[in-house]
Amino acid sequence: MARIIEFRDALREAMSEEMRRDPRVFLMGEEVAEYDGAYKVSRGMLDEFGPRRVIDTPISETAFAGLGIGAAMMGLRPVIEFMSWSFSLVAADQILNNAPKMLYMSGGQFGCPIVFRGNDGAGGQLGSTHSWCVESLYANVPGLKMAIPFDAYDAKGLLKTAIRDDSPVFFLESERLLSVKGEVPEEEFVVAFGEALVRRPGTGCTVVSFGRPLYFCLEAATILAEEGIDCEVIDGRTIRPLDLAAIVRSVRKTNYCVVVDQSWPFASVGAEIAAQVHKACFDDLDNHVVRVHSDDVPAPYSYDLEQQMLPNTRKICEAVRSVTYNA
Amino acid sequence: MSIEITMPRLSDTMETGSILKWNVGEGDSVSAGDAVADIETDKATMEMQVYDDGTIARILVPEGQTVEVGTPIAVLAEKDEDPQEIAAASAPPLEPAPAAQEAPAAAPAVPAPDPTASAPTPATAAPVPAAGAERLRISPVARRLADEHGIDVSLLQGSGPGGRIIKRDVMGALEAGRETAAALVPSAAAVAVPTTPVELSPAAAVPPAGVRLEPGLVPLSNARQTIARRLVESKTTIPHYQVTVTFNVDPLLDLRRVLNEQLAAQGVKLSLNDFLIRGCALAIHQHPEFNASWAGESIEIHGEVNIGIAVALPPERGGGLVVATIRQADRRGLREISAEAKHLAEKARTRGLTIDEMAGSTFTISNLGMFGVDHFTAIINPPNSAILAVGTAQELAVVRDGQIVIGHEMSATLSLDHRIIDGATAAQFLVSLRQLVESPATLLV
Amino acid sequence: MSTLTKVPAVDENVAVKLPEQTLRKWLRDMLLIREFEARSMQAYQNRKIGGFCHIYIGQEAVAVGVIAALNDDDPLITAYRDHGHALARGMDPRHCLAEMFGRIGGCAKGKGGSMHMFDKAHHMYGGHGIVAAQCPLAAGLAFATKYEDEVINGGTSRRVTACFLGDGALNQGAFHEAMNLAGVLDLPVLYICENNGYAMGTAISRATTMGHEITAKAAAYGMEGVTINGMDVITVYNRMKPLVARCRESLRPIFVEIRTYRYKGHSMSDPRKYRTKDEEQRYEALDPIDKLAEHLKAEHGMGPDEYEALAKDVRLQVRDAGKWADASPVPDASELYTDVYADKWGPYLGTTPPPMLGEGPGPGPTEPPQPA
Repeated sequence: MARIIEFRDALREAMSEEMRRDPRVFLMGEEVAEYDGAYKVSRGMLDEFGPRRVIDTPISETAFAGLGIGAAMMGLRPVIEFMSWSFSLVAADQILNNAPKMLYMSGGQFGCPIVFRGNDGAGGQLGSTHSWCVESLYANVPGLKMAIPFDAYDAKGLLKTAIRDDSPVFFLESERLLSVKGEVPEEEFVVAFGEALVRRPGTGCTVVSFGRPLYFCLEAATILAEEGIDCEVIDGRTIRPLDLAAIVRSVRKTNYCVVVDQSWPFASVGAEIAAQVHKACFDDLDNHVVRVHSDDVPAPYSYDLEQQMLPNTRKICEAVRSVTYNA
Repeated sequence: MSIEITMPRLSDTMETGSILKWNVGEGDSVSAGDAVADIETDKATMEMQVYDDGTIARILVPEGQTVEVGTPIAVLAEKDEDPQEIAAASAPPLEPAPAAQEAPAAAPAVPAPDPTASAPTPATAAPVPAAGAERLRISPVARRLADEHGIDVSLLQGSGPGGRIIKRDVMGALEAGRETAAALVPSAAAVAVPTTPVELSPAAAVPPAGVRLEPGLVPLSNARQTIARRLVESKTTIPHYQVTVTFNVDPLLDLRRVLNEQLAAQGVKLSLNDFLIRGCALAIHQHPEFNASWAGESIEIHGEVNIGIAVALPPERGGGLVVATIRQADRRGLREISAEAKHLAEKARTRGLTIDEMAGSTFTISNLGMFGVDHFTAIINPPNSAILAVGTAQELAVVRDGQIVIGHEMSATLSLDHRIIDGATAAQFLVSLRQLVESPATLLV
Repeated sequence: MSTLTKVPAVDENVAVKLPEQTLRKWLRDMLLIREFEARSMQAYQNRKIGGFCHIYIGQEAVAVGVIAALNDDDPLITAYRDHGHALARGMDPRHCLAEMFGRIGGCAKGKGGSMHMFDKAHHMYGGHGIVAAQCPLAAGLAFATKYEDEVINGGTSRRVTACFLGDGALNQGAFHEAMNLAGVLDLPVLYICENNGYAMGTAISRATTMGHEITAKAAAYGMEGVTINGMDVITVYNRMKPLVARCRESLRPIFVEIRTYRYKGHSMSDPRKYRTKDEEQRYEALDPIDKLAEHLKAEHGMGPDEYEALAKDVRLQVRDAGKWADASPVPDASELYTDVYADKWGPYLGTTPPPMLGEGPGPGPTEPPQPA
C-alpha cells in the first residue's frame, strides 16, 4: 500500500527504522534532538530514541565528524548530520583523510561504517558560503560512497542502504526537496547503490543527472517533446558507485548525451561522466557529450542572478537542442 | 663478524653525501650512539652515529670525498675481532680526489611528473579522416552506420557544424535510396511479390534484325556490389542442398476466392504468397531449426519468426533486390500480413525501405510464380538456415482419389543449410507445410 | 628563551611499592623501545624504511608508564610518533618493523607505514599522520565504549580511552573541538599531552599561548588538568593510576601533561639546530632507562650481568624482528585495490584482515548484534 509522504519524512523513517533494527545506529548533529532538526528531518526522534541515541552537538564539525569516525572504528554505525554540506568543509580533514582511508591505512583492521548526511546545493538565496555542491569536490576520493536521492522513495531506500553499508557514505540531500511529496510504501524496502533508474524513457537524447536538477531535466523533457525531441532522463542515484552501464545502454540507443550536474564545471562529476561516456560510447555518439552545470562563479544572493546561475530548465533545453543539432 | 659502515641516508631526499670530518681514526674504539663523522647532505650537515660497539678497523672514504648513499665508508671490528686482520681483508680506501670535488647537486628525488595534463581536447569532436582521402568530418555513429550500409560518405553533404556528416545525413541517404544499401539480399534469380507485375524483362524479346548489342562496361551500383558479395559468400560457405515438394493448391485457391469476394469491399486482396508466409511461419513453430542461424560453436534459435519476402526493384531505383521483413508473422493474421507485404513492396519500389524494414528476417520466401516459372532453386539469405522458392500454380492433369482430374499444383523448393538442417528434418517441415497449405482453413487460426 | 628550564621533581608522595617483576617488565619494555627505535633509525638510513620516521627515544617512560596504568582493553590512540606506544601495548616488533619495511607481514599489510601502527587484538587504534586528528577520533572511541557498555548492553561504562598528543597538537582546532565535545558529552577519555617542548623545530614558547602552563587549557574546558614528570616511569605510573581510575568512574575527561624530552630530531631528516647541545646533554642525564635501572639495582638488587642479559635479549629480539621483517614478502599488486571498500565492486576487491591477526577478528560484524 503506497502512502504519500514528504521527502523529510522519508529520511526520518529510514533513520528510525534502521535505529530500531540495529542498536548500534545513532544520530548526531547540530539541533537534531531538542530542536527537532534544523529542517525538521529528525522531528520526534528524540522522543522515541532518547538522548543517548539522538544527540545534539555544539557547532563543532571537526569534533563530531571525528567522533563519528572513531565510534565507527569501534563498530558503531553513526549517522552524522551536517546542517549543510557547506559546513562539512570545516571537517574536511576528518571526513576525507580519516573516514575513507581508515580501512586501507589499518590494513583491513578497522572499517568505517558511517553515514554523513545533510543538505547539498543551492538552498535559495543563501549566499555563496552556504550554497555548496560538494559532490564534485568529494567524489574524487576513493574509499567513500556517495548517494543523491531524487524523491521521497529514493530518500528512504537509499538512506537505509547507506546505513547498512560497511563503507563510509556521503549522503547528499537538498533543502529544496525536503517538502516534496511522493509515494513511499509502508513495507520494508531498500534501494541498492550502483543502479541508475530511467525516470523518463525516450529515444531521442539521453539526459543524465542526480538529485534536484532532475526536476529541471524532466521539465525540459516535456518542453522538448513538443519540439519532437524525445528525451530519456536517467537518474544516476549514486555517484560512487556509478552505474555507467545504464547510461551506456541509453546512449547506444539515442546517440546523444547531456549530463546535468549542479556543481561547478571544472573537474566535476559532469566532466567525469562525459569522459566515461566518450570512452564507452565513442562509436555510438553523433555529437560530443554536452554538460550543463551551475555557472563557474560563486553563488550570488540576488534571486534572479541565482536562478540564472543554476543548471535550470532553459539551459538544459538549450543543451539538448544543441547536442541533437536542433539548435 | 666485522660490520660495514655505509654512507647513511640522512634525509629522505639524500642521494649522495660527503664526509666533512671524521671524528675517529683507524684503531679508535667506539660505542653505539657515538657520532663518528660529520656528513654534508643535500639539506644540512648532520652527524653520523654508529649503532654498535667496536673498533674502527679501516676508514675507506677520506674527508672531502662525495659518495653515493649506501657506499661503504668504514669497517668496524666487533669486540672479539682483531682490527688489523679486518683492515687487511677489507677493500683499499678510495683515492682522495685530486682537486676539491664539488659535491654533485643531489639528483632530484621527485620523479619526473607524469604528463597527466594532456593537450586540451578541442571543443568539437575531432573529425575522423577518411583513409587516404582528404579530411572528412563525420561523427562516429554516422561513420559506423555508413559502413554498415555500404554508403559512400564522400558523396554526402554534412549538415553538422563545419560540414560534419551526422547521423541524420546518413539516414536521409538511406531513406532517399540514392545509394540503395541492400544490406540483405535474396536468391540470384529476380523475384517479385505477386501484386502488380514488374517489368523486368519477362519473356525474352526478339531483338530487331540488324541491330547489334551495345558492348561496354556497366559500373557496379552499391546494390549490385552488395548482392555479388553476399551471394558469393552464401553459396561458397553454406553447404546448400534442395528438397522439393508439390502442393495441391485447389483448396487454397478456393478459399482465397471466397475470402477475397467477401472482403473486397474492405479493400482486402489476399495473394497466394500471403498464405504461404503464414503457412511457413506456423510450420516453423514445429520445426525451430528453420528459424535458426549458424553461430560457429552453436546453433542459435531465434525467438521471433520474421519472414523475409524478396522484392525486385525497378531500374530507376537501382535495380537489384531487397528483402522486406514481415515481423512476427506467426502472431499476425492473413489480413495483416497481406497489408504489410503490399505496403513494404510498394515502399521498396518507391521511397526505399529503412534498415529496420530490411533487417531481422529469420526465414525467406522467394516467389517467381508471377512469371510462370514452374520451379527453381534459391540461394540462402544469410544468416537464415533455409529459403523457400515458390513457382506458379499450374493447371494440370492430376490424380485425385484414384481418378485423373484437372487440378492446380504448385511446386516449392527448399534450399537448406546442411550444417543446421538434415534431409529428414527438411522433409518433415515440408510435410507440415503441405498439411497447412492443403487444409488452408488451418491458416486462418 | 629556552624551554623546560625547570623539570618538575619526581613525585615521591605516592610511594606505591610495586612488585619487582613489574619493574623488570617495564625496564625490558623501555629497552625494547630504545633498541627498536635505534634500529629503525639505522634501517631508515640504510633505505629500508622510506617516507617519514619519528623516533621516540627519550620518551619511553611515558608510553610504558601510562599503558601500565590502563586495562588491556582500554582503547589507545596516538599521533605519528607511535612505535613506543605500539610496543608498550604488546605489539610484536616483527609486525611493526615489517610495516615500516612495507611488507605484507606488517600490521597494515605495508599500506600504512611508520605512522600507522594499528592492532585490533591489542586495542591499538593507530598511529595518525595529521597533527591532532586523533583527538576527535579518541572522543569517538570513548563515546563508543560508553555507548556499548551502557546503551547496548545496559550496564556500566567500564573502559577509558587514552589519547596521546604532542605539544604541537595543542594549537590545532581539532584538539580544542575534541576537548570541548568530550567535556560536553561526558566522555571517558584521557587527553595525554607528551610535552617534549618542541613542535618539530618550534619551541613551545614560540607557538603556544600559556605554553608554560598548558593545564590552563584543561581548565578552559572544565576538565581536571595535571602535570607529570615523564622522565621517570614509576612516577608516571603512580600519578596516572588514580587519574585513570577517576576517569573510569566519573566518565569525565581528564587532561594530563607529561613533561618529557625526545633525544632525537622530530623525524629522520631533522638536524636539531633549534636546540643546544647543552640542553640535550642535560636531558640525556635524565635518561628514564638509566633511572629505572638504577632504581632496580639499588632497591631490588639487580646486578650488572642481569641488566646486560636483558639488554642483549632485547637486542636479539629486535635483530630477529629485522630479519623476519626483511623476509616478509612485498604485498601482492592486488593489495592496491583491497581494503578500499568493505565490499567488492567495480575494480575493488573487498577487504581482508592482515596476516598479522592470524585467525583474529576483522573489521567487525556487519549484522546487528542479537538482543542480549
